[in-house]
Amino acid sequence: MKLFQTLINRRRFLQSSAAVGAAGAVTTGFTGLTGLTQAPPARAQPTRGETTITKNVCAQCPARCGIDVYTTDGRVHAIYGTSDNPISNGKLCPKGHLGSYFLYDPDRFKGPMKRTNPNKGRDEDPGFVPISWEEALDTVAERLNDLRRREESHRFAMFYGRGWGASDAGIQYPFGELYGTPNAAIGHSSMCADGSKKAKQATDGNNSYSSYDYRNVNYLLIMGASFLEAFRPYNNVMQMWGHMRTKSPKTRVTTVDVRMSPTMAASDHALYIKPGTDGAFALAVAHVILTEGLWNREFAGDFTNPRLRFLAGQRISPVTFEEKWVHGLADWWNEELKDRTPEWAEAITGIEAEQIRRTAVEFGSTRPAVALFERGATGHSNGTYNGMAIHSLNALVGSLFAEGGIGYQVGPSYGKLPVEVADYQDDYARNGAWKEQPRLDMKGTDRWPMVGNMMQECARNHLDADPYTLDTAMFYYTNPIWSAPTPQVWEEALKDVFVIDTSPFPGETAMYADIVLPDCTYLERTQDVPTYPFEGWPMAELRTPAVEPIHDTRMYGDVVIELGKRIEGPMGDYYRELGNLENYIRHLAAGFADDPGDNGVDGFESWKEKGVWYKKPYQWRQIRGDFYEWDGERYSRQMSAEEVKQHLFKTPSGKFEVRSGYLEQHADYIERELGIPRARAGLVQWVEPVYTGGDGDLHFVTPKTPLHAEGRGANIPQQMMVHQPIVGGRNTVYLEVHPQTARERGIRNGDRVRIISDVGSIEAECRFVASHRPDTLVLPFEFGHWAQGRWAKGRGPGNSSEITANVSDPISGLASYYTGKVRLERA
Amino acid sequence: MSTSMKGMQPTTHGNALQGPLGWGLLVIAGVVLLASLGYALSQLMTSGHTAFNTSSVLPWGLPIATYVYFALASSGLGLVASLPLVFGFKAYYPLAKRCIFLAFALLISGMGVLALELGHPFRMLWVIPANLQVQSAMFWMGVFYSLDLLFLLWKFGKLQGGHWDSKTARQVGIASFIGVLLASGNLALIFGMMSMRPFWFDALMPVYFYATGITSGVAVLILLTYLAYGFRRERMPAALQRLMSGALPRLFAALVGATLLFIVVRAITGLYSNNPEVNLVWSEYLLESGLYLTSLVVGLLLPFVLLLGGLRNRPGIQVLTAVLVSLAMFAERLYFVVGGQVVPLFKGSWVPDLIAYTPSATEWALTLVGVSLCLVLFLLGEKFLNLGDMPPQMTQAPAGDPAAGDPAVEASRA
Amino acid sequence: MAKWGMVIDLDKCTGCQACTTACSMENNTLPGETWQDVLYYTAGENPSGQMKWLPRPCMQCENPSCVHVCPTRATYKDEEAGGIVFVDWNKCIGCKYCMIACPYGVRFYADEKPLIEPDIRDVFPGENGQLWSPPYQNPEEDWRRGIGIQPPGVVSKCTFCYHKVRHAPEGVADLDEDNPEVKEYVPACVRTCAPKARYFGDLDNPDSQVNRLIGDKHGVRLKDHTGNRPQVYYLGAGAGVPAFTPADRENDA
Repeated sequence: MKLFQTLINRRRFLQSSAAVGAAGAVTTGFTGLTGLTQAPPARAQPTRGETTITKNVCAQCPARCGIDVYTTDGRVHAIYGTSDNPISNGKLCPKGHLGSYFLYDPDRFKGPMKRTNPNKGRDEDPGFVPISWEEALDTVAERLNDLRRREESHRFAMFYGRGWGASDAGIQYPFGELYGTPNAAIGHSSMCADGSKKAKQATDGNNSYSSYDYRNVNYLLIMGASFLEAFRPYNNVMQMWGHMRTKSPKTRVTTVDVRMSPTMAASDHALYIKPGTDGAFALAVAHVILTEGLWNREFAGDFTNPRLRFLAGQRISPVTFEEKWVHGLADWWNEELKDRTPEWAEAITGIEAEQIRRTAVEFGSTRPAVALFERGATGHSNGTYNGMAIHSLNALVGSLFAEGGIGYQVGPSYGKLPVEVADYQDDYARNGAWKEQPRLDMKGTDRWPMVGNMMQECARNHLDADPYTLDTAMFYYTNPIWSAPTPQVWEEALKDVFVIDTSPFPGETAMYADIVLPDCTYLERTQDVPTYPFEGWPMAELRTPAVEPIHDTRMYGDVVIELGKRIEGPMGDYYRELGNLENYIRHLAAGFADDPGDNGVDGFESWKEKGVWYKKPYQWRQIRGDFYEWDGERYSRQMSAEEVKQHLFKTPSGKFEVRSGYLEQHADYIERELGIPRARAGLVQWVEPVYTGGDGDLHFVTPKTPLHAEGRGANIPQQMMVHQPIVGGRNTVYLEVHPQTARERGIRNGDRVRIISDVGSIEAECRFVASHRPDTLVLPFEFGHWAQGRWAKGRGPGNSSEITANVSDPISGLASYYTGKVRLERA
Repeated sequence: MSTSMKGMQPTTHGNALQGPLGWGLLVIAGVVLLASLGYALSQLMTSGHTAFNTSSVLPWGLPIATYVYFALASSGLGLVASLPLVFGFKAYYPLAKRCIFLAFALLISGMGVLALELGHPFRMLWVIPANLQVQSAMFWMGVFYSLDLLFLLWKFGKLQGGHWDSKTARQVGIASFIGVLLASGNLALIFGMMSMRPFWFDALMPVYFYATGITSGVAVLILLTYLAYGFRRERMPAALQRLMSGALPRLFAALVGATLLFIVVRAITGLYSNNPEVNLVWSEYLLESGLYLTSLVVGLLLPFVLLLGGLRNRPGIQVLTAVLVSLAMFAERLYFVVGGQVVPLFKGSWVPDLIAYTPSATEWALTLVGVSLCLVLFLLGEKFLNLGDMPPQMTQAPAGDPAAGDPAVEASRA
Repeated sequence: MAKWGMVIDLDKCTGCQACTTACSMENNTLPGETWQDVLYYTAGENPSGQMKWLPRPCMQCENPSCVHVCPTRATYKDEEAGGIVFVDWNKCIGCKYCMIACPYGVRFYADEKPLIEPDIRDVFPGENGQLWSPPYQNPEEDWRRGIGIQPPGVVSKCTFCYHKVRHAPEGVADLDEDNPEVKEYVPACVRTCAPKARYFGDLDNPDSQVNRLIGDKHGVRLKDHTGNRPQVYYLGAGAGVPAFTPADRENDA
């Protein structure tokens, strides 16, 4: 062999310079059997044009990774993370690279269209015919003007999903105020993750997702958050994961979830919990932290007498405990926590008491420690209370606003717009009949007093004409007719509504559209993108088009401005003054002149060049139970209790509240909806979940995979081919089922099965995952489209939303996507 | 009947294929060839190899198995032809010419199928000689099968010219024999040297290929010889009759037995091994396959039993066993080629089970191309080249001489 | 000349497959033509089940069995290019023997049935001799090294993104994507890896980070018993690849 290889190497050396190739004509049109046609010429690097890199922001999840878009000869051909972007740091998640598919998706809408078939339904061809932008905009504007003349402008609603910033979703609010509708910005947050925001609002007063200091955390307790699959900002979370797992000391991770997942697999401990019972687990952890004396005394407070302690089952005298930043701790112990032993929790959660105790001791004795959660814990009827219980662990160990702890996001220093809404409102806008109308989703009414949005209610409300029916609805970046719980109701509801869809892609909602005003894809847009909660310090990014729109599409912000210009009265002047989207964004960027970013960004041009404006560090920090403000060099200026209340703990008490003043304000409602006695409404407590779906014997969860691009990835072949690696799901998504559960029902690995709830039934192929809980079925959420493009359409399994009841947490309004119970049978 | 032919040139007018039957069969085979080739080519031209059911996880399928079948049958016949031409087993003279021509026809057919399986068959013609990759068994396979083809033609030319025993004929025969051994041996090593494919990895794979190659070759030979004489042994020349009722069926029985033995030994080794890449091939693929088991039992075991006793001299039994063994050996080649690949290599959950493979219509069409091309060539050969020729002295030998063809007796006579 | 090697730290890898999609877009592979793949393995049962994963590029073996079997020298190990194993698409005859001979299953014959329907090759039909021609294709092309979109009828594989790596400055020890000087020369899978589970550098340079990692964290090569001696090393738990068990059997009680 040696001799052979020497021979080979010699020969190869002799040959390496002389590329062998047969000159000849290019192959014919036949795709195959080139050997039978003429050989193609030898090919080496051809000449090519110059490559330009434009700064953009990925749009496949909310994380807002800054991206470098590589364009050569007018074609986008690569996307990488931007190196000097604080979120992406040159990296991307698996979705990010696939962005060029969105741009060149062959099924994209090529321009504005109107419907010719008045009938709407799954099997109805809309009969779209192309129209000009002028005609499209005029048609919509005429309809809106007509509604306004009839004083029915409230029957116009604008629904949005993935809003990016001031220049798209943000632009809708003034539209409503000027035009006269309470429904100008019905967001999808109640179908997203409002539970965690509400849990935080109820405890620390911040109606927001948290920012995290992963760089310095030493213990992570992850509950129902799909940390390594979908937790925002996913890309950065993974960067931090690499850091946490190799730094000294290595960050220990315990994950509590209802299913096997990459996060569970990669953690130090994986604990499988019964769906909807995360609160019980967290309460037991809190119980142990207190009984073992592991709480952070500097932050939470301490007994006045050092010999006193928390003993299971025994009350303490409130006067003997001096609370510091945790309001209501003594009450919490006496009224709730003292009986929440690990043994109690084991019976509810299915996690052994010993595991709970171990987790509590680790969590309580490793600083800094952070407990984080998402809708695995909050997507249930008791979601807000579950979230509060988990978040309270952060208070017990003092990780709020601490180094290695959690905080909240600060907004960017945007400039003012050249126009004020108040200056352009006519009498109707100020005092018209629309002012008497509630929002269509009944947000802020007695029905949903605490919610942020309630989009999932709109279809039902319209059908019931309660509070009224819709006339015209415009959709931006949302597709509720497919993604809402029980979307069958939307299919019915939107039949007699004039629908305007702005998606670039032929989604289900677009199939109901009367007018399509297609947006540009993100690689063709100018758009401001303030960060999602990240590390707390302010940050705003900017999309710059890599290419001119490749089809006759317009950015949504410009569409709203153009519609505004066409509305009668002073409103039109507002939008004429605003001009266009770029002008709008330039005014935002003007704010940076007075507050230049760390990277020198001080206006529109530099923002465009860098793609991001940001200012580090986070303004505040809690150190050993005291709060300090950044003075430019260190955290040295101690804050008063009032300042803490103003900036950090925005609760009635100005502290972290384990007896929530916010919830106590709604005690009657809570008593009515959840059966919790008024007096206990504010306590962080265990509330039994109410599962939906009927008498099914199995829990049903529909997690996101790392490749799930918020429903926009279902028409991307590259994505489908690697979608569900856990069970080899390519081309489709398999139902993941415990083998014992399957065999009891006569189901073999790979069989076709039917999943049934009282709302409907869907079919799927199953594959066995013995690591899952036997009582829990797992169907990653992705397919089941009846539109959305040639690859998505008709691809199984069925749409899990169709067997998900439209039931929501009464407090947060979060749709209970993960609380369904189902039956399983062979199909 | 044989007496009536005495003294005549051995033009074998007992040959049924030189008459209208030959024409008829030729037309049928030709039509099948044109149809299957036309279909395969049209599929390949329009869809390329997407017309195959092979894939990146199982790259070699039915066309490769077809090639292996034809190449080994050809080699087997090449070796059988060496019995009289190299080793002096003169009893086999009556089949020598047919053997050689058939070996040629089979090899051409196999190579044709292989060419259609490749991504760039014409490129192969210059790129292999231009690069001389001596490390590749496939390179040597190409070299030796080309030589084999050359020697077969040369040898056939010698016989056609009536040179049965000339010095050059003998030398060409020896060269051809060595060429056949090297060619089929290298074909065996293409599989046998693949340590990353334990189902194939076997230093003695050439022996297995020689033995089974001869088995499949003889099966085809018996079948086509009977076809040549309209399935009537009495139409055969006397020497051939002797062979067909003496040495050849005995040899055939021994070969089928040996083939069975090889397979059983391989199966036992495979089933005993803990290595899933061998064990699962046997336990979950081959022995789970009804078709494979049928091919073993009906295609090899049953013929072996039939050939063991006195039944083996009956023409009907010989034709039946030849058909069965031919089909079984084809199945064996397919399962052998596919079996080495069914255990997914390093695919994790993406390929959770053994790789499923069923040949596509295009792949079957290629097999049909091979079969019909071989038949067309054979029929043309029978028609125009007197494949029944044998040395003149053989034609005069008395029908009942038991010693004829026995090398020991021949030697003592000499 | 450097000997390019890759190190993959399985303790940091999150199994997200960004390497896979970055590769597929950089090299315009067909859906399922995963030059770079992540393999998942599961074992055990609730509540103590395990799942592990393993990113898998081409191992660019020091002693590549695929090269030995190629009858045309179309596939070759290019010592001048840091020991990367290439396929010369001008020479490949599509016999697929290399695919048989590769113990790691990293070679692809994309001229196969579409792995997902509709066939994207029909949506973006091949032009100029290419198997398919998507509008977003990388302008880089070098058929002698299997870079770009392949013609029909040839075998394709990971090139360690040689069209990038070839521009690396002479003598550089590591191609670290966090170094702005060299980030454009880093293979796509390494460059994008968010948890920084991948490293790329010169195995011939004892001071390179890849060698330090291999030394410190006991780097291993997959299927080392094959003797192919990969230039890709794995660190951490999880590099043990379980023997194949059919899924049905795996979960037998």
